[in-house]
Amino acid sequence: MKKTFLLHLIILNLFAIEPITPIPLDIDINYPKANLGKKLFFDTILSKDNSTSCFSCHNIYDGGADHKVLSIGVENKLGNIQSPTVLNARYNFRQFWNGRARDLGEQIHGPIQNPVEHDMDEKTIETRINGVEEYKQLFGEVFGSTFITYKEVMEAIVEFENALVTPNAKFDKFLRGELELDRDEKEGYVLFKKNGCITCHNGINIGGNSFQKMGTFMEYNEESDYPDRSKITTNPEHKNVFKVPTLRNISKTAPYFHDASAKTLKEALGVMSKHNLGIILKDYEIDSIISFLKTLDGELPKILDIK
Amino acid sequence: MRLKKLISLVIGLGVLSSFAIIYFYIIQKDFTKQHREFLLSLNTFKSAHIDLEHQILQSSIYSYHNQDEMAKNIDSLESEYKALLESQILKDATYAEVKKELQGVQQDLNQHIRNTQNYLMLNASIKNSLVFLNHFIEEANFLQEQNSKLFKNSWQILKNFKDAKFMQDIDYINRNNFLLSSNSKDQKTQDFITSFNLHSNFLIKNYPPYVQTTKNILSDSTRNNLEDIKKEFSQLALSDFKALDIFATILFSVFIFSLLFIIILFLKYLRENKKLQKTTASLEYSLTHDRLTGLLSRAAFEDKLQETAKPHLLLANVDSFKFINDVYGNDVGNIVLQELANIIKSEFSSRKNVSVYRLGGDEFGILFDDIASQDAFEIALELEKKISDYNFLVYELSLHLRVSIASNFIAPILENTDLALKEVKQNYAIRVLQYSEDLNLKTNVEENMKIVEQIKIAIKNNNIIPYFQPIINLKTKKIEKYEALVRLRLADGTILEPFKFLEISKKSSYYHYITKSMIEKTLEMAKEFPKYRFSINISMIDILDEKLLKMLCATLKENPTIANRLDIELLESENMQNIEAVQDFIKSIQQYGSKVLLDDFGTGYSNFSYFSSLDIDLIKIDGSIIREIEIDNRKLHMLKSIHSFSNGMNMKNVAEFVESKEVADLLQEVGVEYAQGYYFGRPLERPLESDEINR
Repeated sequence: MKKTFLLHLIILNLFAIEPITPIPLDIDINYPKANLGKKLFFDTILSKDNSTSCFSCHNIYDGGADHKVLSIGVENKLGNIQSPTVLNARYNFRQFWNGRARDLGEQIHGPIQNPVEHDMDEKTIETRINGVEEYKQLFGEVFGSTFITYKEVMEAIVEFENALVTPNAKFDKFLRGELELDRDEKEGYVLFKKNGCITCHNGINIGGNSFQKMGTFMEYNEESDYPDRSKITTNPEHKNVFKVPTLRNISKTAPYFHDASAKTLKEALGVMSKHNLGIILKDYEIDSIISFLKTLDGELPKILDIK
Repeated sequence: MRLKKLISLVIGLGVLSSFAIIYFYIIQKDFTKQHREFLLSLNTFKSAHIDLEHQILQSSIYSYHNQDEMAKNIDSLESEYKALLESQILKDATYAEVKKELQGVQQDLNQHIRNTQNYLMLNASIKNSLVFLNHFIEEANFLQEQNSKLFKNSWQILKNFKDAKFMQDIDYINRNNFLLSSNSKDQKTQDFITSFNLHSNFLIKNYPPYVQTTKNILSDSTRNNLEDIKKEFSQLALSDFKALDIFATILFSVFIFSLLFIIILFLKYLRENKKLQKTTASLEYSLTHDRLTGLLSRAAFEDKLQETAKPHLLLANVDSFKFINDVYGNDVGNIVLQELANIIKSEFSSRKNVSVYRLGGDEFGILFDDIASQDAFEIALELEKKISDYNFLVYELSLHLRVSIASNFIAPILENTDLALKEVKQNYAIRVLQYSEDLNLKTNVEENMKIVEQIKIAIKNNNIIPYFQPIINLKTKKIEKYEALVRLRLADGTILEPFKFLEISKKSSYYHYITKSMIEKTLEMAKEFPKYRFSINISMIDILDEKLLKMLCATLKENPTIANRLDIELLESENMQNIEAVQDFIKSIQQYGSKVLLDDFGTGYSNFSYFSSLDIDLIKIDGSIIREIEIDNRKLHMLKSIHSFSNGMNMKNVAEFVESKEVADLLQEVGVEYAQGYYFGRPLERPLESDEINR
């Protein structure tokens, strides 16, 4: 008894020292609501020309992002930035690349009303959803109301998104002391810390908890015009400043960066180390770090298994 | 009235202050709660601010650091600020200044958060560069042998960078040349220098903004401002609390005052109530007890009679008690009554189911419950004897009383006993009488009641009518006058004569109407028969009736031709107590030409002295004399005397009850001027057209 207590104490201390925390296995989700959100997530009814669903740009079965450089919305319109993953998004301290939304509840209106994404408005959504008998029944069960409001629709999708977490990544299991990493993976993690990647990619989402400039060390693509942080703060120094993206499931979310300039992890690591760390990683180092990054792939969200 | 107003005022004040206290309690509670919540919110905000600083400190110390916590800190700092700004208490105008100052913090706060984010960006890259340089130099072992100066220099520069970070002082950087250079042709050495200088340049460029941002964060005045706001808030709140205190004191004083007043009023009420109870008790006693004798009163008797199952009443009345009062004075009378009461009381003090009452002036009641009639009668006899034998000694006077006692158990108790008592009174020989239906005492009462009812109906239906009896001038043998005699016509046409109703009517309120009706109707008849005189009977009651007299005088005045044919017959059978009123009456009548006739002379109260004071025109000699003059010499002699006296006084005579020729002849012989009676004519509904008579 005393021994197990001590063991726990040691593990806890280790956790406290490690700047990365595992995804909790037990999260509080309203499943009826989340399931309703799931149905909506896949439904193109939520786009002006019935062409686009949330799923169109957020393949939650494969990384939760879009493999295209720019996502395609209604009437084949193109977006202006690479689609970030929706998986584990609840753990990001802000939403969107430039962090203009505080949380998912604020974020949801963005793509829904964006003219190049879903191009919808509150009224149209209410008219459409209320026209579907199945939704009327489901919403009635969840919200107990006879008329489905825009707010309820958004709430359901957000609840689904909250359920989109990928627990039990190999690295999480390692953090919990359930297994040991391979030598290569362990080596990668040490390099990840030693080279300063950890400075920005830390916390539960290994990123997603601060703003950082792309190209702190060496300016990156100064001529580009993306919706970066300077668009929010109007501070010219915030050019190319973005929310640090999560590295969870990173192996599945290529292409990388806001401009999708890196097609592979190797390329991405090269760019990052050069522009943000001022170092040139050797090939074997890059391989080790990629091995480590792959341990961040988690299980598919449980909600996807629930009918 | 003043007290009532005062009480309402105080009660109103009390109620008002109670409500005010409840109101006060609510606002006080609300205020205290809001006050506490605001301070709590302020503290939470402050501690979020401190937590953020703590996180910044950690991130500056550790080479790497989990920033999730910091992101959360920034969020909670922002939300706490929002909550603080929306505090309920700030909605009050008093705290507008505090709110304004708090709003002023917004800008500082936003700047602080921006600074923090900037700091994080700079800190990350500077830390990374320093960590990198550390490893980089460490791994460049080859330099240690080839170019130890360069190697040493690189360490020195790194140390200075580290120091500058610790010291947060860019002077460490400016004073030195932090870029490496070498003439070495060695590619490895040149690569080292390039990489090193790249980072060194980066650090040199980023240190100034880094240090500046750090300073900005450290010099953030949010917390100082918060302290000021807290101070100002506390001061304002203090004055609010003081106001609440004063309010509470006043309210409480008012409440206590009204409470005290109510207590005083209540005590006063209790005292008054006690007094009232005493008064009530004595009032009740005097209601049920006779003051003079201490016996139970008539009211008590009536109550007791109601609840007595088998009542038997003895009614005792002192004979000629009025005489004692008149002769010896009321004092003696009262003492006699007290003594008598004591005798009766002591007689029954040992008996059960009996109570003694004083029912009237000299009337005592002894009420038994459940007693044999014979026993009661025996007791009455004993009592009567005892009283008769008793020697009343008052102020050295020795008095003897006699009492009449009636005994009865037949309902209506009091009425029947009273009837029996009256019967005893009328018969001097009987002292005690047991009432029974056989005595037939009650019929009179019932008959009287019936007659009163008949009078009432007759008046209502104009059925009081005069009958007219002719009066003959014995010299001319012609009808000269008619006397109006009252009759009562019943609904079935039966005519009642006056002896049936007149006496009773005198004791009712209807008598006035009877006389009035007689005057009116006789006058009408007199108009119709101008050749006759008419006479009307007027009693003492009429003479004392001012209203009636006025009406009579007015009528006579209006009809002078009738007035001098109208005679007023004063009913002499009544005692004319008020001789002055009669004198006045005669005078006022005679001035209209009417003559005054003295009725029923020679019987009852007849008194010669009247003639000395009354101006009488005619005398009617009573029928009790006339009827017997033919057989009784003494009556004849009385007639002659009255007649010669009348002639001497210049008054003519009328003889009544003339029922035979013999009497009529005798009257003529004596010289009596007028006569009336069945011999000449019975009373008729209307006078006869002809004044001739067939006798």
